[in-house]
Amino acid sequence: MSSAATSLDATGAPPSPRAWLRTPWGLAVVRIAILAAILAAWEAASGRIVSKYWASSPSAIAARLWSWIRDGSLWPHLSSTLIEMGAGYAIGCVAGVGVGLLLGFLPRAGRIAMPFLAGLYCLPKVALAPLFVILLGIDLASKIALVAISVFFIILYSTLDGIRDVDRDLVQAMRLMGATRREVSLRVLIPGCLRWVFTGMRIAIRYAFTAAVLGEVIAANRGVGYLVEAYAGQYNSTGVFAAVLVLVVCSLGLSEVLTRWEASAAEKRGGM
Amino acid sequence: MRMLDVRPRSIAPAAAAASNRVRLDAVSKSFTVRGTHTPALQETTLAIEDGAFVSLVGPSGCGKSTVLNLVAGLLTPSSGVLTYDGAPLSGLNRRVGYMTQKDTLLPWRTTEANIAAPLELACRAVPRREVAERVRAMIDAVGLRGFEKHFPAELSGGMRKRVALARTLIYEPETLLMDEPFGALDAQLKLLMHDQLQRLTQARRMTVLFVTHDLAEAIALSDRVLVMSARPGRIRRAQDIGLPRPRDVFRVRFSPEFGRLHEALWEELKDEVAKGTDV
Repeated sequence: MSSAATSLDATGAPPSPRAWLRTPWGLAVVRIAILAAILAAWEAASGRIVSKYWASSPSAIAARLWSWIRDGSLWPHLSSTLIEMGAGYAIGCVAGVGVGLLLGFLPRAGRIAMPFLAGLYCLPKVALAPLFVILLGIDLASKIALVAISVFFIILYSTLDGIRDVDRDLVQAMRLMGATRREVSLRVLIPGCLRWVFTGMRIAIRYAFTAAVLGEVIAANRGVGYLVEAYAGQYNSTGVFAAVLVLVVCSLGLSEVLTRWEASAAEKRGGM
Repeated sequence: MRMLDVRPRSIAPAAAAASNRVRLDAVSKSFTVRGTHTPALQETTLAIEDGAFVSLVGPSGCGKSTVLNLVAGLLTPSSGVLTYDGAPLSGLNRRVGYMTQKDTLLPWRTTEANIAAPLELACRAVPRREVAERVRAMIDAVGLRGFEKHFPAELSGGMRKRVALARTLIYEPETLLMDEPFGALDAQLKLLMHDQLQRLTQARRMTVLFVTHDLAEAIALSDRVLVMSARPGRIRRAQDIGLPRPRDVFRVRFSPEFGRLHEALWEELKDEVAKGTDV
Protein backbone atom coordinates (compact mmCIF):
# COMPACT_ATOMS: atom_id res chain seq x y z
CA MET A 1 0.00 0.00 0.00
CA SER A 2 2.91 2.34 0.60
CA SER A 3 4.00 1.81 -3.00
CA ALA A 4 0.52 2.91 -4.17
CA ALA A 5 0.84 6.00 -2.00
CA THR A 6 4.20 6.94 -3.54
CA SER A 7 2.88 6.45 -7.05
CA LEU A 8 0.23 9.05 -6.17
CA ASP A 9 2.95 11.58 -5.38
CA ALA A 10 4.28 11.10 -8.87
CA THR A 11 1.02 12.10 -10.66
CA GLY A 12 2.44 15.57 -11.24
CA ALA A 13 5.06 14.07 -13.57
CA PRO A 14 4.64 14.36 -17.36
CA PRO A 15 2.07 12.01 -18.99
CA SER A 16 3.37 8.50 -18.58
CA PRO A 17 2.14 4.94 -18.00
CA ARG A 18 0.25 6.33 -14.98
CA ALA A 19 -2.86 6.90 -17.12
CA TRP A 20 -4.53 4.01 -15.27
CA LEU A 21 -4.76 6.33 -12.26
CA ARG A 22 -7.40 8.33 -14.07
CA THR A 23 -9.68 5.37 -14.68
CA PRO A 24 -12.51 4.82 -12.15
CA TRP A 25 -10.81 1.71 -10.85
CA GLY A 26 -7.47 3.43 -10.49
CA LEU A 27 -9.16 6.24 -8.58
CA ALA A 28 -10.85 3.77 -6.24
CA VAL A 29 -7.54 2.03 -5.59
CA VAL A 30 -5.87 5.33 -4.73
CA ARG A 31 -8.70 6.35 -2.42
CA ILE A 32 -8.71 3.03 -0.60
CA ALA A 33 -4.93 3.21 -0.27
CA ILE A 34 -5.12 6.65 1.33
CA LEU A 35 -7.88 5.58 3.70
CA ALA A 36 -5.93 2.47 4.66
CA ALA A 37 -2.81 4.53 5.29
CA ILE A 38 -4.69 6.92 7.58
CA LEU A 39 -6.33 4.07 9.49
CA ALA A 40 -3.03 2.26 9.83
CA ALA A 41 -1.33 5.39 11.15
CA TRP A 42 -4.19 5.90 13.61
CA GLU A 43 -4.03 2.28 14.75
CA ALA A 44 -0.24 2.53 15.21
CA ALA A 45 -0.35 5.85 17.08
CA SER A 46 -3.18 4.85 19.37
CA GLY A 47 -1.80 3.57 22.70
CA ARG A 48 1.72 4.67 21.80
CA ILE A 49 1.67 8.38 20.91
CA VAL A 50 -1.89 9.19 22.06
CA SER A 51 -3.74 7.44 24.84
CA LYS A 52 -6.37 4.89 23.73
CA TYR A 53 -8.68 6.60 26.19
CA TRP A 54 -8.91 9.73 24.00
CA ALA A 55 -8.20 8.47 20.54
CA SER A 56 -9.67 4.95 20.66
CA SER A 57 -8.51 2.93 17.65
CA PRO A 58 -9.97 1.88 14.29
CA SER A 59 -10.06 -1.76 15.31
CA ALA A 60 -11.92 -0.99 18.57
CA ILE A 61 -14.38 1.27 16.72
CA ALA A 62 -15.03 -1.37 14.07
CA ALA A 63 -15.56 -4.01 16.76
CA ARG A 64 -18.01 -1.72 18.61
CA LEU A 65 -19.93 -0.95 15.45
CA TRP A 66 -20.09 -4.63 14.54
CA SER A 67 -21.43 -5.53 17.96
CA TRP A 68 -24.13 -2.84 17.61
CA ILE A 69 -25.14 -4.24 14.28
CA ARG A 70 -25.02 -7.84 15.46
CA ASP A 71 -27.11 -7.39 18.61
CA GLY A 72 -29.47 -5.00 16.80
CA SER A 73 -29.01 -2.18 19.27
CA LEU A 74 -28.16 0.30 16.48
CA TRP A 75 -31.49 0.01 14.61
CA PRO A 76 -33.81 1.82 17.03
CA HIS A 77 -31.40 4.75 17.05
CA LEU A 78 -30.80 4.83 13.33
CA SER A 79 -34.49 4.43 12.53
CA SER A 80 -35.57 7.22 14.87
CA THR A 81 -33.05 9.60 13.32
CA LEU A 82 -34.30 8.72 9.85
CA ILE A 83 -37.96 8.97 10.89
CA GLU A 84 -37.42 12.40 12.44
CA MET A 85 -35.64 13.54 9.36
CA GLY A 86 -38.20 12.12 6.93
CA ALA A 87 -41.32 13.25 8.78
CA GLY A 88 -39.94 16.71 9.52
CA TYR A 89 -38.80 17.08 5.93
CA ALA A 90 -42.20 16.14 4.53
CA ILE A 91 -44.04 18.50 6.89
CA GLY A 92 -41.61 21.33 6.18
CA CYS A 93 -41.86 20.90 2.41
CA VAL A 94 -45.64 20.82 2.30
CA ALA A 95 -46.00 23.79 4.66
CA GLY A 96 -43.23 25.74 2.93
CA VAL A 97 -44.68 25.35 -0.55
CA GLY A 98 -48.20 26.02 0.71
CA VAL A 99 -47.39 29.19 2.62
CA GLY A 100 -44.99 30.31 -0.11
CA LEU A 101 -47.64 30.05 -2.82
CA LEU A 102 -50.22 31.73 -0.62
CA LEU A 103 -47.97 34.70 0.13
CA GLY A 104 -46.78 34.81 -3.46
CA PHE A 105 -50.33 34.97 -4.83
CA LEU A 106 -51.56 37.44 -2.22
CA PRO A 107 -48.91 40.14 -2.34
CA ARG A 108 -50.64 42.22 0.33
CA ALA A 109 -50.69 39.36 2.83
CA GLY A 110 -47.09 38.74 1.86
CA ARG A 111 -46.08 42.29 2.70
CA ILE A 112 -47.73 42.04 6.12
CA ALA A 113 -46.21 38.67 6.99
CA MET A 114 -42.71 39.23 5.63
CA PRO A 115 -41.06 40.97 8.65
CA PHE A 116 -42.28 38.23 10.99
CA LEU A 117 -41.00 35.52 8.70
CA ALA A 118 -37.70 37.29 8.10
CA GLY A 119 -37.10 37.50 11.85
CA LEU A 120 -37.71 33.78 12.26
CA TYR A 121 -35.75 32.91 9.14
CA CYS A 122 -32.50 34.40 10.42
CA LEU A 123 -32.92 32.86 13.85
CA PRO A 124 -30.62 29.84 14.26
CA LYS A 125 -33.19 27.08 14.56
CA VAL A 126 -31.07 25.20 17.15
CA ALA A 127 -32.04 27.93 19.61
CA LEU A 128 -35.60 26.61 19.37
CA ALA A 129 -34.63 23.04 20.24
CA PRO A 130 -34.96 23.43 24.04
CA LEU A 131 -38.32 25.13 23.53
CA PHE A 132 -39.58 22.22 21.44
CA VAL A 133 -38.43 19.80 24.14
CA ILE A 134 -40.49 21.72 26.71
CA LEU A 135 -43.52 21.87 24.43
CA LEU A 136 -43.37 18.48 22.73
CA GLY A 137 -41.34 16.32 25.08
CA ILE A 138 -38.10 14.47 24.65
CA ASP A 139 -39.40 11.98 22.08
CA LEU A 140 -39.50 12.16 18.32
CA ALA A 141 -42.02 15.01 18.11
CA SER A 142 -39.64 17.73 19.29
CA LYS A 143 -37.01 16.64 16.74
CA ILE A 144 -39.58 16.43 13.95
CA ALA A 145 -40.62 19.98 14.79
CA LEU A 146 -37.02 21.20 14.66
CA VAL A 147 -36.43 19.54 11.29
CA ALA A 148 -39.76 20.79 9.95
CA ILE A 149 -39.11 24.40 10.87
CA SER A 150 -35.59 24.35 9.40
CA VAL A 151 -36.91 22.89 6.15
CA PHE A 152 -39.99 25.11 6.12
CA PHE A 153 -38.06 28.37 5.86
CA ILE A 154 -35.75 27.14 3.13
CA ILE A 155 -38.67 25.95 1.02
CA LEU A 156 -40.75 29.04 1.81
CA TYR A 157 -38.05 31.39 0.61
CA SER A 158 -37.20 29.41 -2.48
CA THR A 159 -40.90 29.30 -3.41
CA LEU A 160 -41.23 33.07 -2.91
CA ASP A 161 -38.05 33.72 -4.90
CA GLY A 162 -39.35 31.43 -7.60
CA ILE A 163 -42.62 33.33 -7.92
CA ARG A 164 -40.79 36.64 -7.92
CA ASP A 165 -38.44 35.33 -10.59
CA VAL A 166 -41.23 34.48 -13.04
CA ASP A 167 -40.96 36.84 -16.00
CA ARG A 168 -43.70 39.49 -15.59
CA ASP A 169 -43.99 39.67 -19.37
CA LEU A 170 -45.20 36.07 -19.42
CA VAL A 171 -47.87 36.99 -16.90
CA GLN A 172 -48.87 40.02 -18.97
CA ALA A 173 -49.00 37.99 -22.17
CA MET A 174 -51.33 35.47 -20.54
CA ARG A 175 -53.50 38.25 -19.12
CA LEU A 176 -53.84 39.78 -22.58
CA MET A 177 -54.94 36.40 -23.93
CA GLY A 178 -57.76 36.56 -21.43
CA ALA A 179 -56.41 34.50 -18.52
CA THR A 180 -58.00 35.10 -15.13
CA ARG A 181 -55.83 35.59 -12.05
CA ARG A 182 -56.42 31.96 -11.14
CA GLU A 183 -55.34 30.81 -14.58
CA VAL A 184 -52.25 32.97 -14.43
CA SER A 185 -51.38 31.39 -11.08
CA LEU A 186 -51.94 27.84 -12.26
CA ARG A 187 -50.42 28.13 -15.70
CA VAL A 188 -47.60 30.61 -15.24
CA LEU A 189 -46.65 31.21 -11.62
CA ILE A 190 -46.72 27.65 -10.32
CA PRO A 191 -44.89 26.00 -13.23
CA GLY A 192 -42.53 28.97 -13.32
CA CYS A 193 -41.45 28.60 -9.70
CA LEU A 194 -41.17 24.79 -9.69
CA ARG A 195 -37.48 24.78 -10.51
CA TRP A 196 -36.79 26.98 -7.50
CA VAL A 197 -38.93 24.79 -5.28
CA PHE A 198 -37.00 21.69 -6.33
CA THR A 199 -33.70 23.44 -5.78
CA GLY A 200 -34.88 24.39 -2.29
CA MET A 201 -35.96 20.82 -1.63
CA ARG A 202 -32.55 19.50 -2.58
CA ILE A 203 -30.76 21.96 -0.31
CA ALA A 204 -33.21 21.31 2.52
CA ILE A 205 -32.38 17.60 2.75
CA ARG A 206 -28.95 18.46 4.15
CA TYR A 207 -30.46 20.82 6.69
CA ALA A 208 -33.01 18.20 7.69
CA PHE A 209 -30.25 15.73 8.49
CA THR A 210 -28.28 18.30 10.49
CA ALA A 211 -31.36 19.45 12.41
CA ALA A 212 -32.38 15.89 13.33
CA VAL A 213 -28.93 15.04 14.69
CA LEU A 214 -28.58 18.39 16.47
CA GLY A 215 -31.96 17.95 18.12
CA GLU A 216 -30.86 14.55 19.39
CA VAL A 217 -27.55 15.83 20.68
CA ILE A 218 -29.35 18.55 22.65
CA ALA A 219 -31.98 16.41 24.32
CA ALA A 220 -33.17 12.94 23.42
CA ASN A 221 -33.43 9.38 24.59
CA ARG A 222 -32.96 7.79 21.19
CA GLY A 223 -31.26 8.45 17.88
CA VAL A 224 -27.74 8.44 16.49
CA GLY A 225 -27.17 11.99 17.75
CA TYR A 226 -28.23 10.77 21.17
CA LEU A 227 -25.63 7.98 20.96
CA VAL A 228 -22.90 10.54 20.25
CA GLU A 229 -23.98 12.67 23.18
CA ALA A 230 -24.48 9.74 25.58
CA TYR A 231 -21.08 8.18 24.93
CA ALA A 232 -19.39 11.56 25.10
CA GLY A 233 -20.97 12.02 28.52
CA GLN A 234 -19.32 8.77 29.59
CA TYR A 235 -15.96 9.77 28.06
CA ASN A 236 -16.28 6.68 25.89
CA SER A 237 -14.39 7.74 22.78
CA THR A 238 -14.89 4.42 20.99
CA GLY A 239 -18.68 4.79 21.26
CA VAL A 240 -18.57 8.40 20.07
CA PHE A 241 -16.43 7.52 17.05
CA ALA A 242 -18.65 4.55 16.19
CA ALA A 243 -21.78 6.73 16.31
CA VAL A 244 -20.10 9.44 14.24
CA LEU A 245 -19.10 6.78 11.73
CA VAL A 246 -22.77 5.83 11.38
CA LEU A 247 -23.53 9.50 10.62
CA VAL A 248 -20.71 9.67 8.08
CA VAL A 249 -22.10 6.64 6.28
CA CYS A 250 -25.59 8.18 6.32
CA SER A 251 -24.39 11.48 4.94
CA LEU A 252 -22.34 9.74 2.24
CA GLY A 253 -25.43 7.81 1.19
CA LEU A 254 -27.50 11.00 1.26
CA SER A 255 -25.06 12.99 -0.80
CA GLU A 256 -24.81 10.16 -3.32
CA VAL A 257 -28.59 10.18 -3.74
CA LEU A 258 -28.59 13.98 -4.01
CA THR A 259 -25.83 14.05 -6.60
CA ARG A 260 -27.75 11.62 -8.77
CA TRP A 261 -30.96 13.56 -8.33
CA GLU A 262 -29.25 16.80 -9.27
CA ALA A 263 -27.59 15.24 -12.30
CA SER A 264 -30.86 13.83 -13.59
CA ALA A 265 -32.66 17.12 -12.89
CA ALA A 266 -30.01 19.05 -14.82
CA GLU A 267 -30.39 16.61 -17.69
CA LYS A 268 -34.17 16.95 -17.78
CA ARG A 269 -33.96 20.72 -17.68
CA GLY A 270 -31.90 20.61 -20.87
CA GLY A 271 -31.04 24.03 -22.23
CA MET A 272 -33.50 25.87 -20.01
CA MET B 1 -65.71 34.13 -37.14
CA ARG B 2 -67.22 34.59 -33.74
CA MET B 3 -65.33 37.84 -33.56
CA LEU B 4 -67.38 39.35 -36.36
CA ASP B 5 -70.48 39.36 -34.21
CA VAL B 6 -69.15 42.42 -32.47
CA ARG B 7 -69.85 44.53 -35.52
CA PRO B 8 -73.46 45.68 -34.95
CA ARG B 9 -72.06 48.43 -32.73
CA SER B 10 -71.47 50.46 -35.87
CA ILE B 11 -75.22 51.25 -35.95
CA ALA B 12 -74.58 53.61 -33.02
CA PRO B 13 -75.43 57.32 -33.68
CA ALA B 14 -71.87 58.52 -34.01
CA ALA B 15 -71.50 56.12 -36.90
CA ALA B 16 -68.24 57.55 -38.18
CA ALA B 17 -66.56 57.25 -34.80
CA ALA B 18 -68.03 53.88 -33.94
CA SER B 19 -66.77 52.14 -37.06
CA ASN B 20 -63.29 52.95 -35.87
CA ARG B 21 -61.95 49.99 -34.02
CA VAL B 22 -59.13 52.03 -32.50
CA ARG B 23 -59.01 55.78 -32.18
CA LEU B 24 -56.34 58.01 -30.70
CA ASP B 25 -57.41 61.61 -30.03
CA ALA B 26 -54.43 63.87 -29.37
CA VAL B 27 -52.81 61.05 -27.42
CA SER B 28 -49.30 61.64 -26.12
CA LYS B 29 -47.06 59.60 -23.89
CA SER B 30 -43.99 60.56 -21.93
CA PHE B 31 -41.97 58.72 -19.35
CA THR B 32 -40.25 60.07 -16.29
CA VAL B 33 -37.33 57.91 -15.28
CA ARG B 34 -35.26 59.04 -12.29
CA GLY B 35 -36.27 62.65 -12.75
CA THR B 36 -35.62 62.75 -16.49
CA HIS B 37 -38.68 63.52 -18.53
CA THR B 38 -38.65 61.75 -21.90
CA PRO B 39 -41.43 62.34 -24.41
CA ALA B 40 -41.96 59.13 -26.37
CA LEU B 41 -44.98 60.04 -28.46
CA GLN B 42 -46.10 63.55 -29.43
CA GLU B 43 -49.78 64.37 -29.60
CA THR B 44 -51.06 61.92 -32.14
CA THR B 45 -54.47 61.51 -33.69
CA LEU B 46 -55.27 58.47 -35.72
CA ALA B 47 -58.14 56.16 -36.40
CA ILE B 48 -58.08 52.56 -37.50
CA GLU B 49 -61.26 51.31 -39.10
CA ASP B 50 -62.75 47.97 -38.30
CA GLY B 51 -61.03 45.34 -40.46
CA ALA B 52 -58.21 47.60 -41.65
CA PHE B 53 -54.57 46.59 -41.85
CA VAL B 54 -52.46 49.57 -40.79
CA SER B 55 -48.67 49.62 -40.58
CA LEU B 56 -46.47 51.95 -38.57
CA VAL B 57 -43.00 52.53 -39.99
CA GLY B 58 -40.31 54.82 -38.68
CA PRO B 59 -36.83 54.98 -37.21
CA SER B 60 -35.89 53.11 -34.03
CA GLY B 61 -37.17 54.65 -30.85
CA CYS B 62 -39.85 56.74 -32.56
CA GLY B 63 -42.65 55.45 -30.37
CA LYS B 64 -44.09 52.75 -32.62
CA SER B 65 -44.09 50.20 -29.83
CA THR B 66 -45.51 52.82 -27.48
CA VAL B 67 -48.57 53.08 -29.71
CA LEU B 68 -49.08 49.31 -29.52
CA ASN B 69 -48.62 49.28 -25.75
CA LEU B 70 -51.20 52.04 -25.44
CA VAL B 71 -53.74 50.16 -27.57
CA ALA B 72 -53.10 46.98 -25.55
CA GLY B 73 -53.76 48.92 -22.36
CA LEU B 74 -50.30 48.18 -20.99
CA LEU B 75 -49.66 51.94 -20.90
CA THR B 76 -52.07 54.78 -20.27
CA PRO B 77 -51.85 57.99 -22.30
CA SER B 78 -50.19 60.98 -20.63
CA SER B 79 -52.76 63.15 -22.38
CA GLY B 80 -55.56 62.68 -24.86
CA VAL B 81 -58.14 59.94 -25.19
CA LEU B 82 -57.77 56.45 -26.59
CA THR B 83 -60.99 54.71 -27.49
CA TYR B 84 -61.47 51.12 -28.48
CA ASP B 85 -64.71 50.30 -30.25
CA GLY B 86 -66.01 53.70 -29.27
CA ALA B 87 -65.37 53.36 -25.53
CA PRO B 88 -62.40 54.84 -23.65
CA LEU B 89 -59.93 52.13 -22.74
CA SER B 90 -59.28 51.37 -19.10
CA GLY B 91 -57.02 48.56 -17.95
CA LEU B 92 -55.80 45.71 -20.10
CA ASN B 93 -57.42 45.39 -23.48
CA ARG B 94 -58.43 41.72 -23.60
CA ARG B 95 -59.85 42.01 -27.09
CA VAL B 96 -56.49 42.39 -28.77
CA GLY B 97 -53.90 39.76 -29.53
CA TYR B 98 -50.48 41.24 -28.98
CA MET B 99 -47.36 39.74 -30.46
CA THR B 100 -44.60 41.62 -28.70
CA GLN B 101 -41.04 41.96 -29.87
CA LYS B 102 -39.93 40.13 -26.77
CA ASP B 103 -40.37 36.41 -26.63
CA THR B 104 -43.11 35.52 -24.15
CA LEU B 105 -43.39 31.79 -24.79
CA LEU B 106 -43.71 29.64 -21.69
CA PRO B 107 -40.28 27.95 -21.43
CA TRP B 108 -41.65 24.80 -19.83
CA ARG B 109 -44.17 24.15 -22.58
CA THR B 110 -43.49 22.48 -25.91
CA THR B 111 -44.30 24.16 -29.21
CA GLU B 112 -47.75 22.61 -29.42
CA ALA B 113 -48.57 23.27 -25.77
CA ASN B 114 -47.52 26.90 -26.15
CA ILE B 115 -49.72 27.35 -29.21
CA ALA B 116 -52.62 25.66 -27.44
CA ALA B 117 -52.34 27.91 -24.36
CA PRO B 118 -54.89 30.59 -25.36
CA LEU B 119 -57.48 27.96 -26.33
CA GLU B 120 -57.22 26.26 -22.93
CA LEU B 121 -58.36 29.34 -21.05
CA ALA B 122 -61.81 29.32 -19.50
CA CYS B 123 -62.89 32.36 -21.51
CA ARG B 124 -62.70 30.27 -24.68
CA ALA B 125 -63.18 26.72 -23.38
CA VAL B 126 -62.47 25.01 -26.69
CA PRO B 127 -63.06 21.24 -26.53
CA ARG B 128 -59.85 19.28 -26.30
CA ARG B 129 -60.24 17.51 -29.63
CA GLU B 130 -60.79 20.78 -31.43
CA VAL B 131 -57.73 22.28 -29.71
CA ALA B 132 -55.56 19.45 -31.03
CA GLU B 133 -56.93 19.92 -34.55
CA ARG B 134 -56.50 23.66 -34.60
CA VAL B 135 -52.99 23.42 -33.16
CA ARG B 136 -52.02 20.93 -35.82
CA ALA B 137 -53.37 23.12 -38.60
CA MET B 138 -51.61 26.17 -37.15
CA ILE B 139 -48.29 24.32 -36.83
CA ASP B 140 -48.52 23.43 -40.52
CA ALA B 141 -49.41 27.00 -41.41
CA VAL B 142 -46.28 28.42 -39.77
CA GLY B 143 -44.06 25.59 -41.02
CA LEU B 144 -43.16 24.06 -37.67
CA ARG B 145 -44.07 20.47 -38.39
CA GLY B 146 -41.52 18.17 -36.77
CA PHE B 147 -40.95 20.62 -33.93
CA GLU B 148 -44.21 20.03 -32.03
CA LYS B 149 -42.46 18.48 -29.06
CA HIS B 150 -39.56 20.90 -28.84
CA PHE B 151 -39.18 23.36 -26.00
CA PRO B 152 -38.56 27.04 -26.81
CA ALA B 153 -34.92 26.75 -25.68
CA GLU B 154 -34.43 24.09 -28.34
CA LEU B 155 -35.71 26.29 -31.18
CA SER B 156 -33.98 29.00 -33.18
CA GLY B 157 -34.97 32.64 -32.80
CA GLY B 158 -36.98 32.58 -36.03
CA MET B 159 -38.82 29.43 -34.96
CA ARG B 160 -39.72 30.95 -31.62
CA LYS B 161 -41.16 33.93 -33.47
CA ARG B 162 -43.30 31.60 -35.52
CA VAL B 163 -44.53 29.81 -32.41
CA ALA B 164 -45.46 33.20 -30.94
CA LEU B 165 -47.22 34.12 -34.17
CA ALA B 166 -49.15 30.85 -34.19
CA ARG B 167 -50.13 31.36 -30.57
CA THR B 168 -51.46 34.83 -31.36
CA LEU B 169 -53.32 33.84 -34.51
CA ILE B 170 -54.88 30.64 -33.20
CA TYR B 171 -57.47 32.36 -31.07
CA GLU B 172 -58.39 34.82 -33.79
CA PRO B 173 -58.50 37.99 -31.74
CA GLU B 174 -60.58 40.74 -33.35
CA THR B 175 -57.56 43.05 -33.35
CA LEU B 176 -53.96 42.06 -33.85
CA LEU B 177 -51.09 44.14 -32.56
CA MET B 178 -47.80 43.02 -34.02
CA ASP B 179 -44.42 44.44 -33.14
CA GLU B 180 -41.89 43.50 -35.82
CA PRO B 181 -43.15 39.95 -35.92
CA PHE B 182 -41.04 38.86 -38.89
CA GLY B 183 -37.80 40.69 -38.16
CA ALA B 184 -35.90 37.52 -37.32
CA LEU B 185 -37.04 35.49 -40.33
CA ASP B 186 -35.17 34.86 -43.56
CA ALA B 187 -36.51 36.47 -46.72
CA GLN B 188 -38.31 33.42 -48.16
CA LEU B 189 -39.98 32.47 -44.92
CA LYS B 190 -41.00 36.07 -44.43
CA LEU B 191 -42.90 36.01 -47.72
CA LEU B 192 -44.65 32.78 -46.75
CA MET B 193 -45.65 34.33 -43.43
CA HIS B 194 -46.94 37.43 -45.21
CA ASP B 195 -49.12 35.24 -47.34
CA GLN B 196 -50.45 33.37 -44.30
CA LEU B 197 -51.08 36.53 -42.37
CA GLN B 198 -52.90 38.20 -45.25
CA ARG B 199 -55.13 35.22 -45.81
CA LEU B 200 -56.01 34.84 -42.16
CA THR B 201 -56.66 38.49 -41.44
CA GLN B 202 -58.74 38.87 -44.61
CA ALA B 203 -60.78 35.74 -43.97
CA ARG B 204 -61.48 36.72 -40.36
CA ARG B 205 -61.74 40.43 -41.08
CA MET B 206 -59.25 41.16 -38.30
CA THR B 207 -58.10 44.67 -37.59
CA VAL B 208 -54.31 44.81 -37.59
CA LEU B 209 -51.85 47.35 -36.29
CA PHE B 210 -48.47 46.30 -37.55
CA VAL B 211 -45.11 47.79 -36.57
CA THR B 212 -42.15 47.17 -38.85
CA HIS B 213 -38.84 48.55 -40.08
CA ASP B 214 -39.38 46.99 -43.47
CA LEU B 215 -41.13 49.44 -45.77
CA ALA B 216 -41.75 46.86 -48.52
CA GLU B 217 -43.40 44.55 -46.00
CA ALA B 218 -45.61 47.39 -44.79
CA ILE B 219 -46.77 48.28 -48.31
CA ALA B 220 -47.36 44.68 -49.36
CA LEU B 221 -49.59 43.93 -46.39
CA SER B 222 -51.35 47.17 -45.49
CA ASP B 223 -54.39 49.23 -46.38
CA ARG B 224 -52.59 52.22 -44.95
CA VAL B 225 -49.00 52.99 -43.99
CA LEU B 226 -48.22 55.58 -41.33
CA VAL B 227 -44.73 57.04 -41.46
CA MET B 228 -43.58 58.23 -38.07
CA SER B 229 -40.96 60.87 -37.34
CA ALA B 230 -37.90 60.41 -35.16
CA ARG B 231 -38.32 60.73 -31.38
CA PRO B 232 -40.49 62.07 -29.95
CA GLY B 233 -42.68 60.37 -32.51
CA ARG B 234 -45.56 61.82 -34.43
CA ILE B 235 -47.26 60.73 -37.62
CA ARG B 236 -45.54 62.44 -40.48
CA ARG B 237 -47.55 60.97 -43.31
CA ALA B 238 -50.48 58.64 -43.77
CA GLN B 239 -50.49 56.86 -47.11
CA ASP B 240 -53.41 54.77 -48.32
CA ILE B 241 -52.30 51.70 -50.22
CA GLY B 242 -54.68 51.13 -53.09
CA LEU B 243 -53.26 47.83 -54.27
CA PRO B 244 -56.19 45.51 -54.95
CA ARG B 245 -56.96 42.62 -52.63
CA PRO B 246 -56.45 39.76 -52.40
CA ARG B 247 -52.82 40.44 -53.13
CA ASP B 248 -50.19 38.06 -54.29
CA VAL B 249 -47.54 39.02 -51.76
CA PHE B 250 -44.87 37.45 -53.95
CA ARG B 251 -45.68 39.38 -57.12
CA VAL B 252 -47.15 42.59 -55.78
CA ARG B 253 -43.64 43.96 -55.28
CA PHE B 254 -43.02 44.06 -59.00
CA SER B 255 -46.11 46.12 -59.87
CA PRO B 256 -45.47 49.72 -60.96
CA GLU B 257 -47.91 51.00 -58.32
CA PHE B 258 -45.88 49.28 -55.59
CA GLY B 259 -42.69 50.89 -56.88
CA ARG B 260 -44.30 54.30 -56.91
CA LEU B 261 -45.58 53.94 -53.33
CA HIS B 262 -42.25 52.65 -52.13
CA GLU B 263 -40.47 55.58 -53.72
CA ALA B 264 -42.81 58.15 -52.19
CA LEU B 265 -42.76 56.66 -48.70
CA TRP B 266 -39.02 56.14 -48.74
CA GLU B 267 -38.62 59.86 -49.45
CA GLU B 268 -40.52 60.55 -46.23
CA LEU B 269 -38.78 57.90 -44.23
CA LYS B 270 -35.17 58.45 -45.16
CA ASP B 271 -34.85 61.90 -43.55
CA GLU B 272 -36.32 60.51 -40.36
CA VAL B 273 -34.05 57.50 -40.35
CA ALA B 274 -31.06 59.84 -40.73
CA LYS B 275 -32.37 61.94 -37.83
CA GLY B 276 -33.15 58.87 -35.77
CA THR B 277 -29.67 57.45 -35.99
CA ASP B 278 -27.94 60.37 -34.34
CA VAL B 279 -30.28 60.33 -31.36
